[in-house]
Parts: sequence; C-alpha cells; structure tokens
Amino acid sequence: MSNALPALVPRAARRQMWSVGGGKGGIGKSVITAALGWQLARLGKRVVLVDADLGGANLHTCLGVPAPQRSLADFVMRRVERIEDVAVETNFPRLRLISGAADLLTAANIKHQQKVRLLSRLRTIDADIILLDLGAGTSFNILDFFLISDVALLVIVPEPTSVENGYRFIKSALFRRLRSVCEDTEAREILDFAMDPSNLRGIRTPVELMSAVENECPAALPPLQAALAAFQPRFVVNQVRGPADAAIGPQLVTACARHLGIRAGHAGFVYHDDAVWQAVRQRRLFAAEDPEGRAAENTRQIARGLLQGEPMAFDW
Amino acid sequence: MTNPRLAELTHYEALDVERAATPEALQKAYEHGLAVYDEAGVATYSLLDADQRRAARKRIEEAYRVLSDPALRAAYDAELTLRRTAAVTVDAAGRPRPVKLPDPVTGADLKRFRESRGVTLARIAADSKVGKRTFEDIEGDRFDRLPAVVYVRGFLREYARAVGLDPGATVESFVARLPRRSP
Repeated sequence: MSNALPALVPRAARRQMWSVGGGKGGIGKSVITAALGWQLARLGKRVVLVDADLGGANLHTCLGVPAPQRSLADFVMRRVERIEDVAVETNFPRLRLISGAADLLTAANIKHQQKVRLLSRLRTIDADIILLDLGAGTSFNILDFFLISDVALLVIVPEPTSVENGYRFIKSALFRRLRSVCEDTEAREILDFAMDPSNLRGIRTPVELMSAVENECPAALPPLQAALAAFQPRFVVNQVRGPADAAIGPQLVTACARHLGIRAGHAGFVYHDDAVWQAVRQRRLFAAEDPEGRAAENTRQIARGLLQGEPMAFDW
Repeated sequence: MTNPRLAELTHYEALDVERAATPEALQKAYEHGLAVYDEAGVATYSLLDADQRRAARKRIEEAYRVLSDPALRAAYDAELTLRRTAAVTVDAAGRPRPVKLPDPVTGADLKRFRESRGVTLARIAADSKVGKRTFEDIEGDRFDRLPAVVYVRGFLREYARAVGLDPGATVESFVARLPRRSP
C-alpha cells in the first residue's frame, strides 16, 4: 500500500474528539485505542490519547509508557489548572497521552460539575484529534464522553454476550442523549419509562419511543428526531478469527437499522493476533512492534477510513 | 414495531440491494442477509427470537430465489412497476377508481391528494397511532428525518389507507425515491 496520503487534510483545522467504548470489559478497547492513536499520528495527525477509563486506566501500558506522574485526576481535582499540563509525551512523534492512572476510586465517582468542566476543557487541547479510551459499562460518565464525540467507536468481539452488551450500550447512550435534549416534561416521562427495558408500555426500540412521543406530545419531537438522526455509533469488531467474524460488523449495521432504527456504521475489524497480546504483556505497542502485521494493518485501515470518511473495504 | 414486517419489503429491500443489482451483488447480499438472521449468528441473537429469525431467513431465501432467476426477476420487476403505477382509490360505492399519481410519487403529490380528499394529518395520526410529525416529514420529503425504510413503509401504508390510495402502490412508488442507507 502506498504511503502517499493526499486526501487526509480536509478538516485539519478542526479539532475532533473521538472515543472508543464498548459495553464489556476485556475486549481490547485500550489496545485498539492505543494502536488507532498511533496510526493517526503516523498519518500526520497530532493526537492526544486520553485514558478516560477513570476507574481502571491502563492505556499507558498499551503504549509502553511508564505510569505517568500526572493524570487526569490532577486536573479533575484542580491540582493543575490547564488540562494540557497533564499530557505527557510518548515515544512516538505527534502522539501524547493523558493518563487516568492515579486516584482511581475518587475519579470514578467524578462529580457532575467536575465532569462538565472536563468535557468542555478536553476540546481546548491543542491537537487534531483527541482520542478517548472509555471504560467498560454503561455508567452515565462513560455515556456522556461517548455522546460528545465526533466519532464514537464501539468495540465488540464476535461473541453473543459482547454484541448484546454493545446493543445495550447503544440504546443506553441514545436514551441518555434523547433525555438531555428533551425539555418537555411529558416526553421526559415517556423517555424515563422507555429506559426500563421491561417497561409495560412495550417501548423497546427508539422508533417505538418516537411514535409514543409523537402521539402524546408531538411538539417535543423535533429535537428528539434530530438527536436520533445525529446518533451514529460505529462498530469495530476485535479479535476476528476468520471471514465469518469479519462479516459481523456490516451485519450489526443492518440489524441496528432494521430493528433499532439506529444508523450505525462499521469502522472495521481487527484480526486476532497472538503478537498483540505478547506485545501487551511486554508493555509495548503491538502496532509499532510489527507495523506490517495483520492486526496493525487493520488498525491502519480503520484510521484511514475514519479520516477519509469513506466506507471500509471489508474484504477479508 | 420491534420487528418490522419483512413480509412488506420488496425482494430488493429484503436483500438491501439496488434495483440494478448484479448477480454478484445479489449473491453477496443474500449471504449477508442470511448471516444477519443466522441461528448461530450474533447480530440479531439478542434482538429477535428464534421464530422471528427463521421467518426473516425465509423471507430472504424467497427474495433471492426470485431475483437470482433472470426470468422470475423480469416478471417480478414488471409486477413492481405495475404496482407502482396502478395507484387506486375507491369511490363512494366501494368500486376501485384508478387515480394517476405521478410515479415515483413525491411528498408534495401525496399532500395534494390528501388535501383533495379532505383528510387532515391529525386525523391520520390519531387513527394510525403513528403521529403527525412523521407524516409531515413524509409529505415534506424530509428523508433525513425518516427512520429506516422498513418503518417508513409501515407509516406510508397507514397514510395510503387513510386517504384512499392503494397502500402497496403508494409505498412502492414513494420508497423508490428514498436514499439508500446500506451498511
């Protein structure tokens, strides 16, 4: 593949916030985030990786960086004023890291005001792309980080439990977003009702929710519809072991559109490679260890695809 | 509407392909569709039960059976075209009365026809339990605000019934203009 990258600077001036989430722990979010950040930096972007897994940060390990002295917690607790001051250089050009490694317990319970300040200040970081590694689960903090992102990636692995968690994550994130844009009291009640998956009104999907709102308080609908249309999470399928696994991403997109009414996308897949785990064990960035390896090449394709805003080539 | 009725989709929509899809594209879409609803697959495992998935696979099998056979496909295409151009209303005595709506029909065409029949959107919304805003979006051709095509078909069907248009023809004619949102 050629290294000439002509079309990669269209919106260079604009800072972008990207995030990597996934409902389940241990599916490779941090490893993928680290590799993706590295690939973006290699493609010429100035990248700041942010370990927003406030309860279990380990992005530095995936990058081969010793646990940084300063972390996001220092900013949250106002021990430093500027968020830039907690960013550290990595061994790689154009790639910096903001660690979440210290003060784990307090940071995971970050207060609302602290979170608002964090969310707004993240965008002031001088970089082309601010790439967030989110923690596992569907806590409000995680969903909020996911929702403010320009590119919201959702990592899943080819297992029923992971996919189920992925759908749950998507639904939770969307309902939270809808609730935040909804000012109508009556519509809010419907939303709250719908957040309970076993609700008696039988609202299971966003489309059913929209219908309920339309019928009962139509004036509240336009902002909700706009939010639904703008909500476009993108799947990354990790630990792919064969063509059948590689085909899962597009299947999820179809399922989301047909059965959830959500326009998801597919960012790509990453091949299962023992070298990845060996690299992690040695606290090295796998993609940098073996840039020509299959998994590394996969992350490169994902990075390029996302930068160009073009659909991925899914050929196995 | 958790499980939009796949039976209402055209064969092309069931496979999520263009009308001009090549045999290769059809084959690919067929395999994709079966995989989405595969018994052992992960994509719809937590969204649909086993019966629903079986029904979906059956629908996709049928679509592929027809479209992969040149003769059957040609006949089906002709039938689709007919369905779209033969919009029908019913007169006071219940006899079919063909009405020539342009094909493909636009939201503005639908609106004009609805108004000529003296039916309000509020009335359709109340009867169909769908909600006025969606019908306004349909009449305004605001495709970006409409949900996936499977849902739009359902809404259009209600709309057509309410104003006295042939549901099948109206649906086919309108959705032919929707931008494709394939994965």
